[in-house]
Amino acid sequence: MKLAGLKSIENAHDESVWTATWVPATESRSALLLTGSLDETVKLWKPDDLILHHTNSGHCLGVVSVAAHPSGHFAASASLDSFVRVFDVDTNNTISTLEAPPSEVWQMCFDPKGTILAVAGGGSASVKLWDTATWTLVATLSIPRPEAPKPSDKNSSKKFVLSVAWSPDGKRVACGSMDGTISVFDVGRAKFLHHLEGHFMPVRTLAYSPTDPHLLFSASDDAHVHMYDAEGKTLIGAMSGHASWVLSLDVSPNGAAIATGSSDRTVRLWDIGMRAAVQTMTNHTDQVWGVTFGPAGGPGRLASVSDDKSISLYDYS
Amino acid sequence: MKRAARGNLLVVLRKQFPKASKNKNKNNRKHSLSVCLYGSEDELRRLQDSLEAKPEDPSLRFDLGVLLWNEDNNISKEKAAEQFVAAARLNQQNGAVFRYLGHYYSRFSEDPPRALKCYQRALSLDPTDSDCGEALCDLLDDQGKETLEVSVCRDASDKSPRAFWAFRRLGYLLVHFQKWSEAVQSLQHAIRGYPTCADLWETLGLAYHRLGRFTAAIKSYGRAIELESTRVFALVESGNIYLMLASFKKGIEQFRQALEISPQCVSANYGLASGLLGLAKEFICLGAFRWGATLLEEASKVAKETTILAANLSCVWKLHGDIQLTYAKCYPWVEEIQGLELTAEAFISSIISWKRICHLAALSARCSYQRALLLAPWQANIYTDIAISSDLVYSFAECPSYDLNAWQPPEKMALGALLLETENYEFWVALGYLSTHNALKQHALIRGLHLDVSLAVAWAYLGKLYRKKDEKQLARQAFDCSRSIDPSLALPWAGMAADFHAGDPAADEAFESCLRAVQILPLAEFQIGLAKLAVVSGHLSSPQVFGAIMQAVECTPHYPESHNLKGLVWEARFDYLSAAASYKLARFGVTDSSSSVSKSQIRDITINLARSLSKAGNFLDAVQECENLKKEGLLDAEGLQIYAFSLWKLGQNNMALSVAKNFPASVSSMEHISAAASVSLICRLLYCISGLDSAINSILKMPKELFQNSRISFIVSAINALDRSNRLESVVSSSRYFLKSPKDMSGMHFLIALGSSLGFQSGVAHLRKALHMYPNSGLLRNLLGYLLLSGEEWNDSHLATRCCCGDTSDDLIHGLKSTYEILGAGAVACYAISNNNPKFSFPTCTYQCLNEPGAIQQLQKCLRREPWNQSVRYLLILNLLQKAREERFPRNICIMLERLICVALSDECYSKANVSCNYQKFQLLLCASELSLQCGNQNDCANSATNASSITLPDNYLFFAHLLLCRAYASCGDLSNVQKEYVRCLELKTNCHIGWICLKIIESQFGLQNDLNLSELNFNGCLMEGKNLPNMWMAVFNLVQGLISVWKQDFLTAEEFLRRACTLASAESCLQLCHGATCLELARQWCDSQFLSLAIRSLKRAREASAIPLPFISALLAQAEGSLGSKEKWENNLRHEWFTWPPEMRPAELFFQMHLLARQSTAGSDSSNVECCQSPQRWVVRAIHTNPSCVRYWKVLRKLDG
Repeated sequence: MKLAGLKSIENAHDESVWTATWVPATESRSALLLTGSLDETVKLWKPDDLILHHTNSGHCLGVVSVAAHPSGHFAASASLDSFVRVFDVDTNNTISTLEAPPSEVWQMCFDPKGTILAVAGGGSASVKLWDTATWTLVATLSIPRPEAPKPSDKNSSKKFVLSVAWSPDGKRVACGSMDGTISVFDVGRAKFLHHLEGHFMPVRTLAYSPTDPHLLFSASDDAHVHMYDAEGKTLIGAMSGHASWVLSLDVSPNGAAIATGSSDRTVRLWDIGMRAAVQTMTNHTDQVWGVTFGPAGGPGRLASVSDDKSISLYDYS
Repeated sequence: MKRAARGNLLVVLRKQFPKASKNKNKNNRKHSLSVCLYGSEDELRRLQDSLEAKPEDPSLRFDLGVLLWNEDNNISKEKAAEQFVAAARLNQQNGAVFRYLGHYYSRFSEDPPRALKCYQRALSLDPTDSDCGEALCDLLDDQGKETLEVSVCRDASDKSPRAFWAFRRLGYLLVHFQKWSEAVQSLQHAIRGYPTCADLWETLGLAYHRLGRFTAAIKSYGRAIELESTRVFALVESGNIYLMLASFKKGIEQFRQALEISPQCVSANYGLASGLLGLAKEFICLGAFRWGATLLEEASKVAKETTILAANLSCVWKLHGDIQLTYAKCYPWVEEIQGLELTAEAFISSIISWKRICHLAALSARCSYQRALLLAPWQANIYTDIAISSDLVYSFAECPSYDLNAWQPPEKMALGALLLETENYEFWVALGYLSTHNALKQHALIRGLHLDVSLAVAWAYLGKLYRKKDEKQLARQAFDCSRSIDPSLALPWAGMAADFHAGDPAADEAFESCLRAVQILPLAEFQIGLAKLAVVSGHLSSPQVFGAIMQAVECTPHYPESHNLKGLVWEARFDYLSAAASYKLARFGVTDSSSSVSKSQIRDITINLARSLSKAGNFLDAVQECENLKKEGLLDAEGLQIYAFSLWKLGQNNMALSVAKNFPASVSSMEHISAAASVSLICRLLYCISGLDSAINSILKMPKELFQNSRISFIVSAINALDRSNRLESVVSSSRYFLKSPKDMSGMHFLIALGSSLGFQSGVAHLRKALHMYPNSGLLRNLLGYLLLSGEEWNDSHLATRCCCGDTSDDLIHGLKSTYEILGAGAVACYAISNNNPKFSFPTCTYQCLNEPGAIQQLQKCLRREPWNQSVRYLLILNLLQKAREERFPRNICIMLERLICVALSDECYSKANVSCNYQKFQLLLCASELSLQCGNQNDCANSATNASSITLPDNYLFFAHLLLCRAYASCGDLSNVQKEYVRCLELKTNCHIGWICLKIIESQFGLQNDLNLSELNFNGCLMEGKNLPNMWMAVFNLVQGLISVWKQDFLTAEEFLRRACTLASAESCLQLCHGATCLELARQWCDSQFLSLAIRSLKRAREASAIPLPFISALLAQAEGSLGSKEKWENNLRHEWFTWPPEMRPAELFFQMHLLARQSTAGSDSSNVECCQSPQRWVVRAIHTNPSCVRYWKVLRKLDG
């Protein structure tokens, strides 16, 4: 497996690009790359030449997270002031705006069937689930606190939830917290199952392997990538190599590789079988906030976005 | 809100500087003491030989072992170990053996347990063995047995206080375990052993730092830096301490030093940026925005570089945000083009570019905060930062458009912080500040107060909120509360000041309160408020207001009110051009800032502009402005006045009058004061343009109600004063009814006196009466003095000086002449000014001039206060010349006067061709000339007089220059020139009697006869012309003629002249004395008793007329009476004579006369008389003592002795 640079756009946004995801192809068009930035815009790009398809504005603060519905018809973007805008990808019509108290929207993720949007609820120490048909809040999955919370407890931010991921079967949701713990929930019963230990710094991104519902990957500020058996509560692998925080992570559609982006300004490709980095891309000049693999079915693509305002597209094979 | 940032910084620090205890103990190991003195081969052989001899000697074995150990191969190490083992077996007490064994086991045979035992053994034998101790500790450290390490060190340190290595190791370990206070002890002890170990000092500094003993920490770090200048850690940490102690400059210095060594050091960069930020904030708090902004620019650069070095440090981004936010708040607007040339486009574009810079900075701040937040989303304070920066961004944005019902971003982000930390009252206050909903505001602030009731900020914001909701009472209470909790908070002070409009505190108090707010925090809102209060309370010209409004304009250039107020402040400082420029800017601002401003505001600013333009003398532009207003129909009463005034000044009299005609229409609607102003202006315009009569007619036509004001009364009275026929009498008298204050009243009397002083006497009379009513009015006193001085009969100058005896320091009186001028001029005018000391003269003036030398002192005081005032200097010179003349030109006064005159003449004001200046210069030159003459310097005298004669002045002044030239040539005997100047004098003529009299004297002394006796003719002509005191002058002329006859020994003619003089001025004691003396001489010559009686009559008159007893009169009288045979009268008169002399001046003859008297009275009885105090001999001796050259005395003495 290897990555080959295809295209890189300098100054794709006016400010740092913070998040990226792929919008799956629909009947009428191919897959698109969706990026969100500190400049308060969300942009849609056409691969492989990264032609700007559309620019959505309207957020009042930087865009921290974008998520695309599996159908490819609509997507959601969230800014720092915790407004989630759900919009039609093709027409840019606003479908809904979800409002949460600030600090309570971070990573977002649609479930594989596309019926629920899970939102990492930051300071609320929970994951919020929104129904994608009615756009109402259907459940709040809270991380149980070790002891009864005292009113003067200022440590509530320890469980600050930064990241969220759906298992490929849609039965489990995992979320990562600031103190390095990962919590796993049973969605059907809306119940907390267990913690996964191992990191000691904030877990910025979580991703399940698309092929194996047990396998969960996590990226953390402690510069490590962990591989967990999410059901069996065990750490089955830890991969080191980044010199600084691992900010983003994505698993390839075939489940054989993961890509990570880091504060050390590199993008790494890891072979899961070998549990080692096989390639390091150093084309970014600032920390890499997002990496995302192209959707299954299309050509193997990886996109990365960075604080240096650029977007890079690689061929993955 | 710095808390989180600091926390993060610590993490960074720890990363940057791994714990101090490690890597420190790589000391160069000292090798064994037995250094080979011989070649090692020889030594080896020698030792082996002796060992064979004594196999049981452990020291030999040890030495051999050491020798082998030092060889550089493994085999010999093995052999050495064998020797050491044997030595140890033989002697258990040698620590060195065990140490070597330890080294062997740890390094070569890889047997740590055995090595440990050997080392421990060695240490127990010699705890001060640092080599061994360090090796042991390194071994333990490698195995991770830190507690064991500690106990080893403790053992060693307990056993021997000289085990410095143990103290050092222990100190490092304790620091590693964060047991700071214990560490300090160990480290201090260790430092005694290794005083130059920079590591130890640095670690000690760290321990002190963590204990919060900052000064001690700074000293320790400083010592470490002294020992090794490349200690980045010590530099950075001491810099941090300095920042914490708010001595930013020192901190910045430390960080810069650290960066020189290690330019990539994140914490040093961070420290430098935050130090610069702190320093900039200090400056901004002082109001030095530009300075602060420059520092912030540098800080921002440093912070930006730091974010490149460490992009994932939230605290660095937050710092960058802080810097940019401060920059956005403080970046000052600068007027690029000064003055009136600035066009509207240039102004607006400069405002836009200023705004853009601020906006960009605010945006950049918000971006940086967002990055910080993304890196550490759990840090609540960053949410507040974003909220605050968003608020600022929206305040700079062109059109803030958001839905009023939705949460606004600033508000929402403030809530974000609260969600994370509900109990943080600061966040509640921030929410209260940022929210736009009053209810939420109030709720948030009260929640904040719930958490901490002594939260002054919350109270202050609450007060502000209540004020906005118009609940004054609550607002006051809240502000009061806040102020009493924290008097150093600016807002409550400003809030209290703003309540002024409620009418509670007096304007002054409000101003003071607002001033305090501005001094605490130079915020544009407060500063504008201060300027507004200054307008109300009349403090506009105070420098604090000036400074404040300057800063306000720097910070809010887009706000027209600030420019307008700046204009008012300039106007109050009499800088009308700058004021006009400011008003212009204000108007650009108003027209720029869309339609929200009312027309009245534009009008007010334009009128301000027109007024300052006309005050600055730019009437054309002022008229232009007024016309523009008129076109829009916005010209109100004040505008009309300015319009009319400016038109008049431009010479468009008809236009001005037609504008002025509109006044009365607008007057009715006006306030009292402005109505008065406009009526006054009409009257003034009418008088100046159409003349007195038409003005009077118009005034008579106007309704009487208009004149019911003190100010108008002044104008009308002034016009009336110019009118001889008193047509306005009724208007004037009715309007005078409205004069209220004593100041106004005395002013009016001043005016009346001026009016009537067209006839001098009536003016003086009126003023005398008025002074009775207002004895304190300096104005009236000065005028009276002035009138008296300028009276044509120079009779009253002594009164002039007396009537303005008030202190000259009072500058507030603006009359025609200032007090000191009257004083000085009066003193010069009185011939006999100065001294009570009759050493120099015996004044015969019947007017007793009382102020005397006071005038000179007062003038000196004035000159000291205003060294630039040339008229004071001039008057002082004249007074001093009088004094010098009176004291017969003593050398010291002459020198001083010469210098004074030299200074005065160098004054550039005398280069102007102005009559009064020329006159002063003329006078000064004459003074100089006179001085030179008196000092015997004829050349200088002639030069000065010639200079004076070349000045363009009327002939009757120049006369005196030539007179002086006459005297100058006369004194050096140049008769031909004397004749020439004399003729010149006759040609020029003067209307001054004294001039002719002097000329007469010169004429007679040098025999400059002319056929026609021109001088006498001229004098008589002069008498005819002048009205003042012809008798007096005639008498003086007769006196001079008499004296001339005396010089010619023609006593009969002299007597005739003098008799004529006496009849003309019988009250002059001088004349009588002269006449008496002449008669006595005649009597002596002719032996005629008729002359004797004439003499007695004149002398008696002289004695009666003189104010103080004059000498000679009594002596002469005694002579005359004695000659007539009356011995008693002779005695009495002689005794009287004795007392008329001041003691030190009594002449010899007086003593001699007293001897005669004494001889007479020795026979007599009364011994209380003066002459009886000593014998006649003694009297003669005293006479001789005074004048030893007189033979007569000697003869008498001989006779008496004989």
